[in-house]
Amino acid sequence: MNAGALLQADRVSKWFGEVIAVNDCSLSIGPGVTGLLGLNGAGKTTLFKLMAGLITPSQGRIEVGGRRLRRDVGGFRRVGFCPESDALFDWLTGREFMSLMLRLMGFPGEEVRARSDRALGLVRLSDAADKRIGAYSKGMRQKLKMAQALAHEPDIIFLDEPLNGMDPVSRREIIDLVRELGGSGCGVVVSSHILPEIETMTRSIVLIHHGKLLAEGDITEIRDHIRNQPTIVALHSDEPRRLASFLAGRDLVVGVELDDLGRVVARTNQALSFYSALPGWLLEHELAVSEFETLDDNLQAVFDYLVGD
Amino acid sequence: MPVYERGYRHWEHSGGHAAPAWWAIARRGIAEPLKRRGFLLLLVVAWVPAVVKAGILYFTWKVGELARLLGGSWTDITPEGFRAFLFWQGPFVLIVLALIGARLVTRDREENGLALYFARPLTLIDYVAGKTAIILFFYFAVTLFPVYALSVFGYLVTSGDVGVEMLLLVPLRATAFCILSGVSLALILLALSSLGRRTVFVVLWWVLLYAGSDGLADIMAMFDARLEICNFPGMYENLGSLFFSAEPALTSISPWFSLLQAVILTLAAVAVLRRRIRPVEVVS
Repeated sequence: MNAGALLQADRVSKWFGEVIAVNDCSLSIGPGVTGLLGLNGAGKTTLFKLMAGLITPSQGRIEVGGRRLRRDVGGFRRVGFCPESDALFDWLTGREFMSLMLRLMGFPGEEVRARSDRALGLVRLSDAADKRIGAYSKGMRQKLKMAQALAHEPDIIFLDEPLNGMDPVSRREIIDLVRELGGSGCGVVVSSHILPEIETMTRSIVLIHHGKLLAEGDITEIRDHIRNQPTIVALHSDEPRRLASFLAGRDLVVGVELDDLGRVVARTNQALSFYSALPGWLLEHELAVSEFETLDDNLQAVFDYLVGD
Repeated sequence: MPVYERGYRHWEHSGGHAAPAWWAIARRGIAEPLKRRGFLLLLVVAWVPAVVKAGILYFTWKVGELARLLGGSWTDITPEGFRAFLFWQGPFVLIVLALIGARLVTRDREENGLALYFARPLTLIDYVAGKTAIILFFYFAVTLFPVYALSVFGYLVTSGDVGVEMLLLVPLRATAFCILSGVSLALILLALSSLGRRTVFVVLWWVLLYAGSDGLADIMAMFDARLEICNFPGMYENLGSLFFSAEPALTSISPWFSLLQAVILTLAAVAVLRRRIRPVEVVS
């Protein structure tokens, strides 16, 4: 098991009849936020449910904190799960729902109310705690699902499409909360098909395609490994021609051009090395760069390159 | 303010005593119907036969056999009389269990709530035990609890003359019988509930099984008495003879056979529950 890993999946496969949904995936999830990405039908949902302990692998093993969840249900105390579906009990109030969920987690009565209040406060739902869930808006339901996932203060939380149906303000609050949870040392696995949403929460991703693990790690590092697609970097400079001429002579740079906006657009196959070397080059040769941006070092670009769409 | 400054910290057991998971489910499931006035009224109405029996019991003792003749055998202050009373409660069992039990699993499946349950330290046994306890509570509320009340009332009215039989043996016989029949009915109803996606269909199946099989068996028994075997509530009434040392309710079926029938149906229900209750729906 990787040191510091909260979840470790080792050669996991899952098939339903003759359909293989997840094929020989090995990965580890550590503290911080991790985005789980994949096209529809890629096996993302199955992998998510496998990691959350809702289904068992046909082959391989998944451990959370060293425990195999469905075999050792006590391990679920360390796991929070926020489903995508509207899996809430409409006839209960928010507080009653939280109370049931916490009692099922094994908390004694005196702790249930305090934890319930705190979790509802974290998602800013305290005012609606005594309303029936049936009267909640879509965004409030999402928040309540979040609250039940984190009320027991798990080590790792699985969030399936957590921003569905939320208004912009609530969306911002939940994004901040997810980032804070990740920053507090909690492992947060977020599954979403909306890439910009994932990108607002993390740069660490797991990408699955046709049931296989395609990439795992930081977006920039993954991007750096896509050698057949050079990373495109745009630099704003008062001396674009001089800068372009200089960059053209560097080994790390495979192509340079000036675009219509007057920017120097460089292509590199070793983005991380390029980023490290660039400040030194600029200082050494007294080249001024006012702005610097990577045009395809983003989640969408990485996703498109890897998945091929 | 960062989340960890708002009180978030990683889970540590407080050391406090927690109730078992099945009890958390049962407690919530029992509390919810009791908030509904209509349902409470139904429970009150379900106690009317017990009140009537108590009245007749009082007059039987005070005025003699006249009241007994008016009341019929179900007013007997005997184990047989209590068995008869339990089966006079049949319509209430049918209605109360339909209202409570039919949706217990269906609703969780409708709302995809099973994932929320099973993403917690909860086994299938905990889940089923919790749901069974809900049904058992309301089954007891219309069968066993009135028997307890009646036996205490009878003991008090007769100033203890009916002795241990009324105060101890009748409640014990009723308890054993109600636990067996209640667990069996609860598991069969939960299995039906797990098979349906809509509560209304589960209610329909339950009514067909409970009331429909009774009517159908009566008709079929006119051609061949052995076809009483199809009588679902009759099966429980018949095996009740074993507990109350009474004549079999079904003339052509042995109470032991009815017991075997109930055990087989219950095991089949458990098999259905094992197959149908899963954390997530799996589409093959």
